[in-house]
Amino acid sequence: MTEGEGSRFGHTSLPAAQHNALVRAKRLEWVSLAYLITGAVVVYLVMGSSQAMKAAWIEDLLSLIPPIAFLVAVRRARREPSVSHPYGYHRTVGAAHLAAAVALLFMGLFLVYDSGSGLLAGEHPPIGSVDLFGHTVWAGWLMVAAMVYTGIGPVILGRLKLPLAEELHDKVLYADADMNKADWMTAAAAIVGVVGIGLGIWWADGAAAIVIALSILKDGWQQLAGATRDLLDGEARTFDDSAVHPVIDDLLALLRRTPWVAEGGGRVRDEGHVFHAEVFVVPHGDLSVEQCEDLAAAVRGLDWKLEDVVVAPVAELPPALRTGPIGLQREE
Amino acid sequence: MRIGRLLAGLLILIGLAACGSIPRDPDGTLEQVLDDQLLRVGASPAEGSVTFEDDHAGGREADLVTAFAEELGAEVSWTLGGEGELVDAMERGELDLIIGGLAADSPWADKVSLTRPYRESTELDGSTVKHVMAVPLGENAMLVRLERFLDEVDR
Repeated sequence: MTEGEGSRFGHTSLPAAQHNALVRAKRLEWVSLAYLITGAVVVYLVMGSSQAMKAAWIEDLLSLIPPIAFLVAVRRARREPSVSHPYGYHRTVGAAHLAAAVALLFMGLFLVYDSGSGLLAGEHPPIGSVDLFGHTVWAGWLMVAAMVYTGIGPVILGRLKLPLAEELHDKVLYADADMNKADWMTAAAAIVGVVGIGLGIWWADGAAAIVIALSILKDGWQQLAGATRDLLDGEARTFDDSAVHPVIDDLLALLRRTPWVAEGGGRVRDEGHVFHAEVFVVPHGDLSVEQCEDLAAAVRGLDWKLEDVVVAPVAELPPALRTGPIGLQREE
Repeated sequence: MRIGRLLAGLLILIGLAACGSIPRDPDGTLEQVLDDQLLRVGASPAEGSVTFEDDHAGGREADLVTAFAEELGAEVSWTLGGEGELVDAMERGELDLIIGGLAADSPWADKVSLTRPYRESTELDGSTVKHVMAVPLGENAMLVRLERFLDEVDR
């Protein structure tokens, strides 16, 4: 999956660093898909009637969604804006993000219910043997082996994807990397459950399944909160949603440095990968079109993500505008 | 730190696994059979597999079970009855093993543990039946011991 010359998100052509990150990220996601599919097949073949293995298998299947969403989203988001889609197709990322979050959330709920009711009913999970090349082997060992396989790969892939998610400001990729990084815990929980059954502790399996289900639920909730904030045009935040994006501070500093700006503020929202910025300025005295355009160009120069910039001269700043540096102004 | 502790826990578990025999029965069915030298078998009549003869069962499956009991050094105590009754008795902990023409697609699978199919037969209508036996639900040591026995008879 290599790009021709220059990748783009809408009419934003990516700088070299982002272009390379995108090419790498796509390759990693294809590798992830291949790995996850083999993992899901292996786990399906050995899972038997262990609840923890079933939960781990479902998580494997769910973790197919973010890579697919990412690959679809970057392809879609490449499209140029048009009259009918003046903001471009960047929101594809948000839609994909929301879809992944909802899938996680409901699967988590289902698994908590499914494992919890089995545990309350006191179901003793049966795990028999398999005939492996003429030897009768307890199937639990195969499950442990399958979990070791599915646990190792995603941890490595997740760590490789994380810096790319920051570089590309891609929240789907970030969600994916974050889930991958936590995958080993799912595998470990399933192993504890299966070995627990082996030791005659029948509830170990159900308990492990609930732990896995809760981690899926937590992921789903976090992702849903993040995806919804962006779809509601919340102020742009960093790729991991941990803070207001620093480029907004840069924008405000630029306004203060511009001599003809008496008062200024901005609304910056995350379209997915790229930002859409509306900059409001109250000028000292008269203002020329050229001054306005120069300011817009300067804003665009702050970050590759700032491409769609509108500068609006006004007599009075509209309400709910960020005007002071982050940290000094109270968040609503 | 948390990773380290989890790994340590895993290692302890695997260590335990290597020492003790895995899997174990949560309710100790196999141990009890070995201790009491008594295998409590429920049998329901099934054509070609289980026949009733006075107070005990005969037929192919009954012979298999008698040989299995011998391997465990146990006597067989027979309970003859219908499938439903026997499954209820097993859930109450009164039986260790059920035979009687059970098939792999048996509706009892959520009440008792079914073995892997040990034999396939073709019925008159051309369908294939996979024959299984049943042990108490989740008594995995018992299950694996029986499956191993059936595998070895097969080989």
